[in-house]
Amino acid sequence: MKKLEKLLGRIIQRININLRELDYDVSPFIKDLVPLNQMDKFYAFYGITPNHPLDFVFRHSSLAGSYFLGKICARNSILYKSDIRGDELKHQGDMFHYQKFEIPITRDEGIDIEDSFLIKTLVHNFSHDPETLEKFFIRDTVSTHYANIHGSPMDGCFLGPFATVDLTTMRDCVIGTFSYVQAGEVDHLNVDPGTVWVRSPDAFNFLYRYPLNKLNHYLNFIAGRQPQGFIMDFVENRKEAFQRVFDVVNIEQSIPVPDSASLDRYAVIKPKTVISENVLVAQRAYLQNAWLGKGANAQEQCYIINSRLEGFDITAHGAKIIEADLGKTVFVGFNCFLRGRPDSRLTIGQDSIIMPHTIIDIKQPLTIPPGHLVWGLITNSKELETNSIALKDLSKISDGLIKGNMSFEGSGAGFVTAFKERIHHILEANGAFFDGEKNRGHAQKNQNISFNTIQPYPDGELQGLYPAIVIQP
Amino acid sequence: MVPLSEYATVPVGSTLFDAVLALEKAQAEFDHTKYKHRGVLILDKDKRVVGKLGQLDVLQALEPKDESPAEINELSQFGFSSSFVHRLRKQQRLKAAPLKDLCNNASKLRVEDFMQAPSEGEFIEEDAYLDMAIMQLVTGRHISLLVTRKKELIGILRMTDTFAAVFHTMKDCEIDKAIIREPS
Repeated sequence: MKKLEKLLGRIIQRININLRELDYDVSPFIKDLVPLNQMDKFYAFYGITPNHPLDFVFRHSSLAGSYFLGKICARNSILYKSDIRGDELKHQGDMFHYQKFEIPITRDEGIDIEDSFLIKTLVHNFSHDPETLEKFFIRDTVSTHYANIHGSPMDGCFLGPFATVDLTTMRDCVIGTFSYVQAGEVDHLNVDPGTVWVRSPDAFNFLYRYPLNKLNHYLNFIAGRQPQGFIMDFVENRKEAFQRVFDVVNIEQSIPVPDSASLDRYAVIKPKTVISENVLVAQRAYLQNAWLGKGANAQEQCYIINSRLEGFDITAHGAKIIEADLGKTVFVGFNCFLRGRPDSRLTIGQDSIIMPHTIIDIKQPLTIPPGHLVWGLITNSKELETNSIALKDLSKISDGLIKGNMSFEGSGAGFVTAFKERIHHILEANGAFFDGEKNRGHAQKNQNISFNTIQPYPDGELQGLYPAIVIQP
Repeated sequence: MVPLSEYATVPVGSTLFDAVLALEKAQAEFDHTKYKHRGVLILDKDKRVVGKLGQLDVLQALEPKDESPAEINELSQFGFSSSFVHRLRKQQRLKAAPLKDLCNNASKLRVEDFMQAPSEGEFIEEDAYLDMAIMQLVTGRHISLLVTRKKELIGILRMTDTFAAVFHTMKDCEIDKAIIREPS
């Protein structure tokens, strides 16, 4: 255990050096966040498929409960119940388009994690930084519960609980609880909790900030304490359901799954769930009485309960949908928390975009009309009016818009187009458009995965650490 | 230099309204120049200057406090343009109380919450040369300097007076040149 304690101390020191200009000390936040004696209680596991590279290098690291797929290297790091999913990494010979450049990829891209501590974090997608196309690096970084590092190389960053960094190269930043940043490149910034920021330089800029007193009810994070709030409780209360799927070696599928769909064996499926063609259900997803129409998906840490998704709906990483009915092609962004009630259901019209990190929590029935953009905190129809706009109206905005706590500058049409293109790309990558021959995506490629487990030292100085492991074909 | 006795002063603890009245009184009594006083000195109980209150400081006090200026200021760090931030400020200002209400509220506020404490570069000895005063005004971007004699404040050297002195010197130089060019 001594070596593991020393490793944690080293990681804390390194990130504090990076964050010294922000005068930010991470140690009170993370010192007892995960008891180190937990680290030898959970096995790590990795996937083997013919569709993805198999290249794992683990050195002087703890990997407790974490999952790996693709090409991944972890050195001097602690990864606790994290998903390092390298199934969208670039391949040797690919061509990367960036502005006027066409950059050839000279070797398979890998996720490279060094001197970092990731807690229940999802790492996915690929590096969008043209300066580091073959290495998706995560260095001197700490991310806490249910954070998402999505296509975002980072160095010297601290991510609060349920924070998401998306398609952004980030250096020496603090990203507060439940904040979402998608801004291309950011450095030396301390982003307050509950900030939702989407920026494409010279094109558009979207910023929403939660009223902190209201966000605290759903999520808050104070030094020396575990993350707290209703959303945290919601997730923790369903933790035990995952115990069985992780304990059992060969698990039988509990519901019929079409040939073109993929249901991960590490997902929890509760009764009356229906999975249609081309559906993708990722590991650590939780479905209960969920009806998923053709091409819909549920990513990691998603919860879909008593809800119906008509088809081609995206439930991005960490999104929760409860007592809701979604029309076709509805996008529900990262970490959204959408809660209707049995007698007050939430209805979302087709082609609507629910911005990442949106909270809808209603006590009266609420209907979001088709083709709307929705953001922020919504508990009733009045707040929906303030925190939404028809996509066709947004497309007409050419300079700026201020609605409630949301500020938007730039081209509304550009914003809508960028989102629609991304939604199409996600559906395509997930295999939603598979026609039996063409357009294979994750739903088809991830059907046959073998899982192997690896274990740490159970005792002694190295307790909790894994031996150096190299796994290659 | 304007002697301290002819300048507007108020003790610590005064309201902004007291300061404005003191300025009005000093302006009425001070008539040997067309340039009026534009500031008020704040004195402690030992008559030492602890701050200067300029016109901009008084206007600052009128700014509505409920518009979360910090949040608006932060917009620029998220990449919003200065014109967008300006527009937002205007919008917030339109939502604020009418000017009369703002004036009414501001007049009750304490001067020490808005005054500027004098910095090291704002003091000058009474026997210093004018070019030294100009250097201090320019480099420190001050609108006046506090003139001292053996550390005791005796008056104010205002930018307007300094400029007037410079202007007269320039005029004298031009007259001298003209005399040389046209000898009698």
